[in-house]
Amino acid sequence: MELRAYIARRLLLLIPVLFGVTVFIFAITMFFSPTERATLYVTSPQGMRDLPSIIEQYGLDRPFFVQYGTWLNQVFHGNLGWSNVVSMPVGRAIFHYLPATLELAIFATPIIILTGIFFGSRAAAHKDKPVDHATRVVAILGWSLPTFWLGLLLMMIFYGYFRGLLPPGRLSSAMEIMVTSGDFIRYTRINTLDAILNLNGPVLLDALRHLILPVITISTVNVAFIMRLMRSSMLESLGKGYILTARAKGVQEKLVISKHARRNALIPVITVSGYLFAALAGGAVITETIFSFKGMGWWASQSALRLDISSVLGFALFMAVMFVLVNLVVDILYTRVDPRVRLGGGVQ
Amino acid sequence: MKDLIKIRDLAVRFYTYEGIVYAIDDLDLEIRQGETLGIVGETGSGKTMTALAILRLIPYPGKIESGSILFFDKSIDQELELLKLRDDRMRSIRGNRISMVFQEPGAALNPVYTIGDQISEVFLLHRRRELAQRAKQRLDSLLSDGNGLAAGVKRPFWGWQRRIYDKIAKESHAFEPRLLGRLPLFRRLLWRMGYEAKLLTVDMLKDVEIPDAARVAVQYPHQLSGGMKQRAVIAMALACSPELLIADEPTTSLDVTIQAQMLELFRRIKVDKGASILFITHNLGVASEVCDRVAVMYAGRLCEVAPVGEMFVHPLHPYTKALLNAVPMPGKKLETIPGVLADALNPPPGCRFHPRCPSAMPICGQERAKLKEVSKDHMVACHLY
Amino acid sequence: MSSWKLMLRQIVRNPLSLAGVIIIFIFITLAIFAPLIAPVPEGHRDPYLIPHDGYSITPQPPSEEHIFGTTQGQYDIFYGCIWGARTAFRVAFLVMAITILIGLVLGSLSGYFGGKIDEVIMRITDVFLAFPALILAMAIVASIGPSINTVIIALCVVWWPSYARLIRGDILALREEDYVEASRGLGASSARVILRHVLPNAIYPTLIMASLDIGAVVLSAAALSFLGLGAPEGYADWGQMTEFARNWIVGPQNDPLKYWYAVITPGVFILFFVLGWNLLGDAFRDIFDPRLARR
Repeated sequence: MELRAYIARRLLLLIPVLFGVTVFIFAITMFFSPTERATLYVTSPQGMRDLPSIIEQYGLDRPFFVQYGTWLNQVFHGNLGWSNVVSMPVGRAIFHYLPATLELAIFATPIIILTGIFFGSRAAAHKDKPVDHATRVVAILGWSLPTFWLGLLLMMIFYGYFRGLLPPGRLSSAMEIMVTSGDFIRYTRINTLDAILNLNGPVLLDALRHLILPVITISTVNVAFIMRLMRSSMLESLGKGYILTARAKGVQEKLVISKHARRNALIPVITVSGYLFAALAGGAVITETIFSFKGMGWWASQSALRLDISSVLGFALFMAVMFVLVNLVVDILYTRVDPRVRLGGGVQ
Repeated sequence: MKDLIKIRDLAVRFYTYEGIVYAIDDLDLEIRQGETLGIVGETGSGKTMTALAILRLIPYPGKIESGSILFFDKSIDQELELLKLRDDRMRSIRGNRISMVFQEPGAALNPVYTIGDQISEVFLLHRRRELAQRAKQRLDSLLSDGNGLAAGVKRPFWGWQRRIYDKIAKESHAFEPRLLGRLPLFRRLLWRMGYEAKLLTVDMLKDVEIPDAARVAVQYPHQLSGGMKQRAVIAMALACSPELLIADEPTTSLDVTIQAQMLELFRRIKVDKGASILFITHNLGVASEVCDRVAVMYAGRLCEVAPVGEMFVHPLHPYTKALLNAVPMPGKKLETIPGVLADALNPPPGCRFHPRCPSAMPICGQERAKLKEVSKDHMVACHLY
Repeated sequence: MSSWKLMLRQIVRNPLSLAGVIIIFIFITLAIFAPLIAPVPEGHRDPYLIPHDGYSITPQPPSEEHIFGTTQGQYDIFYGCIWGARTAFRVAFLVMAITILIGLVLGSLSGYFGGKIDEVIMRITDVFLAFPALILAMAIVASIGPSINTVIIALCVVWWPSYARLIRGDILALREEDYVEASRGLGASSARVILRHVLPNAIYPTLIMASLDIGAVVLSAAALSFLGLGAPEGYADWGQMTEFARNWIVGPQNDPLKYWYAVITPGVFILFFVLGWNLLGDAFRDIFDPRLARR
């Protein structure tokens, strides 16, 4: 299929999903009475008097589908609504919180995927040998670690015991001031990238210092999955006929693994890596919360906690678009790795 | 003339959860130079394991328990003990002097590489010096008739490349090219060897009667038909003109019409290349068409070895007779062999065929019959003789 | 059945899976004998509420009275950890059971009948899978009101689609099998074919995936509790006890690790509980099907 037609088809498939997600989230809030929902807009005890007018203003007592229609109409006019938790429009909130999350995802995803692929294929190549057992133990252990607990332990050691060696947050306050001052141009709001573009060493080091613990936390709990997937996929590939052919050709064992088996084994890993990136770009809720690394996950979880519906809906739209984009990239990558795959056609 | 391969007392066992499987039990067999030896037997009789044992590629959890496999190396007029060879020496024999064609061409080809890539890999593994020599010669001719500006710019670079290729041609594992081959970007500078390998590949594909060979070389396995795939696999096996070609049921997964073409191809290979062929099949008809001698295997042991004419006219072992009777022929009632293939985990004592044998005697259940020569070239392992 | 014996032997032979079995066994023992190990104080209404000894905000180190120490608000850590095992089992099994049930019903309808039904059910699963599970669960819990039961409901809501998909896939494959065709050819009704022939064969991969998922369910429930969306304050729940420790990870200047006991203990319980299930699930997967990764 041609690339453009393929993308168009993907986007069309997105519409029912978006509709479903937003209706569902809208429906969840209907557990509350209009008055309860109106209190979400109230910030001070004095404001309670205005409840009826708020209900009136936002149409909170109208039927479900009328309210949903109002929201949808707004969205079509480019207005995603107001995010109460952070007191800014939802659209701006997304652009405000996305860079932090992207920064985490950009650092964590390659670490997770590369170490996962490396150790996974080593484990498969040495099945039932010490390497295999060791990676299995490490993988299962990492998989079983509660994220929040690991984060707290790391903070306890590197922030508490080592006196603020690796602090929480995105930047220390001195650097925060430097970044927000006029001389520092915030191209992307991704601190490490901006620091490089501004050739600002101290900011770069400070940003990296704040990144280490969150990245370690995310990587530890996620690497296990890629590792195990790579191992089983590699084992399957190593059992195939073409591996025997390669050996019968006289190919060195190292090349049998790295050239003949690995490329075939990568195919399922690509899909999962795509979803991993999408999930991380949607925010690592727990990690961001613990390390006060305020990104999408933090914002969305705060919105969900306080039932800030327009924020959650905005986040839902963002996530759905994110997944579609990742799906596209994954499908295109597929065609590069596996010649049997055609866009949209699956394996022939 | 010495036998090309001499197998003595070969035993292969698989150590599984359920117990030990005796896949091959004290096998003695030789493959002569220039002959086609067929191995015939039911599924699970140890045919494929015999072939894999010669290449030392018995899969886990199998192990070559004991025995010896001698390979006669014509170039040094000496017999090599394959089972005791160092790993790298064994690798230089695989695909080069002994190569193998597998049953399922679809599974034997790597789906993510082109046919050309997979065949030229064989050349790049075993014919480095020759490829470097060819690359050098091509550069020489480019240098001699290359005129004009472009050639003038490239000339010093070509000279340097030529020196590298010269080094490889003299000593395939010289230090400088080896270092070069390891550096990611510089590795590309050796592309001319890959190019020469591709040219040889196309010749090879033509040799196995693939039409439009140049196009097939850049195609992926899934784009070819079963017969074409099998031809490509055969081309891969023949690439380095091996002394022994092992063909494991090469026609089983193909259509009948294509089978006939494939058998014709094997006959021609034997004549043209003078290679020995070990032809594994469960189909006696196929064996009778291509083989000079036939060995019959049952449950990991050899029953009978004889020239193909002799085997079909005067079969001696009761199992061979039963097999021949089980070949469907017009106007003849089809007979089956009673019972089932011996359980490899708990093989019957004595002769493994005796529970199914129509002429079994008391001794058959107690003692194993040794393989003995009853007439010239005709060997049988049975207490009847 | 000999295959069961073989499986059992494989599990016992592999030290890792054996460790998994032992860990789970210990937790089962803890859960069953909780009233004996950590007796409920007299006059205490609900045994699942951790008894607390005063209202002081500072955690207290292990002592004879509180062998694991106390959290902020003086909740006894030992009592909470022991009774927390019951909470963990309850959440894990209820979520798994409900999820598998929904998955079986919708997955088999979708897979067996195909067509419009399949299309609708699959689009619904798309909706759920397109949204981050934890945040969806948070929204659900927040809207219904936090409690252990709400957590269970929320986790079921976000978890069933992957099971429906898995079962649908298995059933699509099974539908083509000869024996299913045969029984249909003999005139068996759809319900009969599904119940007698298709489901029994689809259930094994589902159970393997479930054994691998129990750990993840417990982790998610703990994460919800940690974010303050779980059990009411003082409930015997490991996630919430970790949350109690959140403000105490850094001790005073001269002793930065002073409150380690409050941070480490509940987390160790979660870790081992999940570890036990994951070790067992991993062994199951290796034994039954090396290709069945989590989808």
